[in-house]
Amino acid sequence: MFPFLRILTAALMMLLLLPAVAPWAAPPPDAAQVSVSLQWVPQSQFAGYYLALDKGFYRKRGLDVTILHSGPELNSMDRLADGTAHFATTFLTSALQRRNSGLPVVNIAQIVNRSTAMLVARKKSGIRSLRDLNGRRVSLWAGDFTVPFEAALSSHGISPGRRFVQNYSVALFLHNGVDACSAMYYNEYHMLYQAGLDEDELITFPLEKYGCNVPEDGIYCLENMWKANPRRCRDFAEATMEGWRYARAHPEEALDSVMRRVTSARIPTNRAHMKWMLEKILPGILAGPADAWKAGVLSRTDYARAVGLMKKQGLIKTAPEYDTFHPLGVGNVQ
Amino acid sequence: MFSRLRIAPRLALLTLLGCTLVLGAITGSCYLFGSRQIEKETQEKAISLAVGTANRIETVQRGVEKVVRASASRIEDGERSPERVRLILARAVGENPEIFGAAFAYAPETVSGGTRLAAPYVYRSGERLAFKDLGAGRYRYDVWDWYTLPRDLGRPVWSEPYFDEGDGGALMVTYSVPVFDGSGADGKLVGVVTCHVSLDWLTDLLRSIRFAETGYAFLVSRTGTYICHPRKDFVVRETLFSAAETNHRPELRAVARRMITGESGYIPLRNLVSQEPSHMAFAPVPSTGWSVSIIVADAELLAPVVSLSRSVALVGIAGFALLLLITLLIARSITRPLRELDAATEVLAKGDLDAPLPAIPGNDEVAHLSKSFTHMRTELKRSMEELRATTAAKQKIESELEIARSIQMSLVPRTFPAFPDRPEFDLYAELHPARPIGGDFYDFFMLDRHRICLAIGDVSDKGVPAALFMAVVRTFLKAIWRDEESPAATLRKLNNELALDNDSTMFVTLLCAVVDLRDGSMRYASGGHNLPFLISPDGGVHQVRRLKGVPVGAMEEMLFEEGTESLRPGDVFFLYTDGATEAMNGAGELFGDDRLEGELKRCAGSTGMRELVHGVRGAVESFADGAEQSDDLTLVAFRFTGPLRF
Repeated sequence: MFPFLRILTAALMMLLLLPAVAPWAAPPPDAAQVSVSLQWVPQSQFAGYYLALDKGFYRKRGLDVTILHSGPELNSMDRLADGTAHFATTFLTSALQRRNSGLPVVNIAQIVNRSTAMLVARKKSGIRSLRDLNGRRVSLWAGDFTVPFEAALSSHGISPGRRFVQNYSVALFLHNGVDACSAMYYNEYHMLYQAGLDEDELITFPLEKYGCNVPEDGIYCLENMWKANPRRCRDFAEATMEGWRYARAHPEEALDSVMRRVTSARIPTNRAHMKWMLEKILPGILAGPADAWKAGVLSRTDYARAVGLMKKQGLIKTAPEYDTFHPLGVGNVQ
Repeated sequence: MFSRLRIAPRLALLTLLGCTLVLGAITGSCYLFGSRQIEKETQEKAISLAVGTANRIETVQRGVEKVVRASASRIEDGERSPERVRLILARAVGENPEIFGAAFAYAPETVSGGTRLAAPYVYRSGERLAFKDLGAGRYRYDVWDWYTLPRDLGRPVWSEPYFDEGDGGALMVTYSVPVFDGSGADGKLVGVVTCHVSLDWLTDLLRSIRFAETGYAFLVSRTGTYICHPRKDFVVRETLFSAAETNHRPELRAVARRMITGESGYIPLRNLVSQEPSHMAFAPVPSTGWSVSIIVADAELLAPVVSLSRSVALVGIAGFALLLLITLLIARSITRPLRELDAATEVLAKGDLDAPLPAIPGNDEVAHLSKSFTHMRTELKRSMEELRATTAAKQKIESELEIARSIQMSLVPRTFPAFPDRPEFDLYAELHPARPIGGDFYDFFMLDRHRICLAIGDVSDKGVPAALFMAVVRTFLKAIWRDEESPAATLRKLNNELALDNDSTMFVTLLCAVVDLRDGSMRYASGGHNLPFLISPDGGVHQVRRLKGVPVGAMEEMLFEEGTESLRPGDVFFLYTDGATEAMNGAGELFGDDRLEGELKRCAGSTGMRELVHGVRGAVESFADGAEQSDDLTLVAFRFTGPLRF
């Protein structure tokens, strides 16, 4: 036999075998079509979802998942409300506010349990402690994003001289329009670094250090979805967690996955930033041996704290019971 | 190290070595000065290009700023109705081709159930101007930097560049001016005038910039974000800092910080894309805080210098080859006669003095050396001739001397036993000349039937004259003795004969003895000769009595005393010349009378006189131990065995 024929045969055989194992092969015909709306544009914050899709973790659980991205003009929760997505991710505070305003969302997995939210200031501005923010110009994220910041400031009796609404960029801080701004360690902090601010030029105040950890990204669905298809919800949550574990084990592959989506969506970011984001967000998702929380599970204490803070700040009036809000409960998601 | 080489290669090698150093120095300094000069020129050129580009950008930006500010002023001055605003915007866009679109975003009005947004926007759509309200759709301008920054900062702001999603992904930048009611930032915000400027012209401008072959320009924003770069995927996505981070280049980060703070400079830098050593010139665009950079690869800059240095090196190498050739030729022209001379000398050394020496023309050292050799050869040849003649003469003399020696030796009786028919005595004698011709002699003969004459002498000189004198003495002695019979009388007469007409003033010491074989009585006389020994059979040894007598032949009319001895049977009468007692060893010691006496005692028991003489001679020779002797050695031993009995 000619060598090339042998190779050709082998290649054909492999192609025949591929559908059974290859992640990019078509899902089985009986797979459930589900969609998830991620709360922002493509970035490493969602690496676990991408890998769960790319590596076939959804499909092997019988899920044919479509990933949708949201953005400044499109809220992921709206997609749940209008039925264009089965699942959606959002911050706990946002979900609680939605619930408060009548959208019956339930948390089927708490992805980011440890917040990396922080206030950042230039050392040059003379700020040495959180207290030094008194009377200073501070930009804070608006709406429910502000919950842990307001909590941190008020619990330490700090009132900034002038507050600015911070939206999607740190430009105001870069233009010296404010003395301090809100930042995620995994995102905005590194944006400052990539805009030329050295780490030793900055002073950071991680909110977790000030007792204001509020869990962030979680996966939500409508209550009736959960009641009708608890298995599907659980499968989706478990596959996503598997995706995150895979991302931790294969960071370069995860970055490739992220960058593919970043490039096709023409997101103005770079691999170095995505690498940073992945590295910094992972410890808040997958618990280390020393952590008291469980990956994927919304901690009862954190839930209670978030509800308490939001009520105190007048953002919500009511909140569901923990077990209603997070029906999977402890241990259901690894 | 060089001394092992022959002259020609050594000369060539050393010359070459020196030239290599010189050439290396020339090429090196050529490269160094050239590259410095070029570096300086490049620096000036690159900086001026960067500054020039920055100024061109600045001019355009300033133009845009002026238009937008003018529009803002008009709105501030009261023309705030949407219709007026729209006209102002249309005019700004229509009259300024660099402006893609302009909008006036009204500060949101709080109405029941939220806020109302309104932002009339005039923009280019093909050749015409189009209009829309940015506040009408889902788009909320009040959360975006182009609106919030001027609002919050209270001053005009250039935005970071971005890809405009709505217009086919064109690279855009906006300039926004806040409009306040009343004076300054204290007043209430009316809205923000913004205009969108496409950066395509900028991309074209920077792409058109060429520096040397591959040099290029790039532009970054005030946060270090790439606005224009040959790597299109860098634009907007990467910043100088993310590039430094990705490539682990902290020095690049340091440079980037200088760039975004409005500095200008010229620095060495490894190119991020090609990894080549390069240089970068950068200059700020003040209005926007951007920075223009020109990158030039060092290799390209230095290409002319390298090429020049290479030419210099090539010419040098060609010169080298020529020099090598010339050096070798010169060296060979010097060494060729030397080698010829060497070969000729070798033939000369083998003895062929007639072999021709190379003729070397000229007046240099080698020619002088050749002349000296010729002179030496001539002298050598002459001296050889002389030596040959001398040697021939010497050989002739030596052969004559040999003949003379054999004649002299034949003058003394050398057949032993000399008298085989006479049992009364035993006689043995030996003469050993120190030189071919000696001056010693001995003789014995029967005077009659009962008497035997013994004589021993030593002529005062050596050589042929002595031999001749000795022959004369012997002839006279024998003749006179037969007449006179008495030893003393014989000596007296011989003395007179010899002294007469003795012009040569030669003389001889002489001892003569006559032994009567019937009773052993002996008469003897001495002419200044060494005293003989008497040896008795029991081993007693003593010298005979000293008698008056002077050497014979020196002066006429001298008297000689005559002594008598009586030999008993077995007694030995031993005669000798001073060659025995004055034999000298290597240390300069003499054999002496005492040693001789001791030796005679030792040999007293010898059976025959031949053994006795050989014993004494052996002792003398072993004492001298090969040292050259000046005196002839003559030994005569006579033993009286007793009278015949009938």
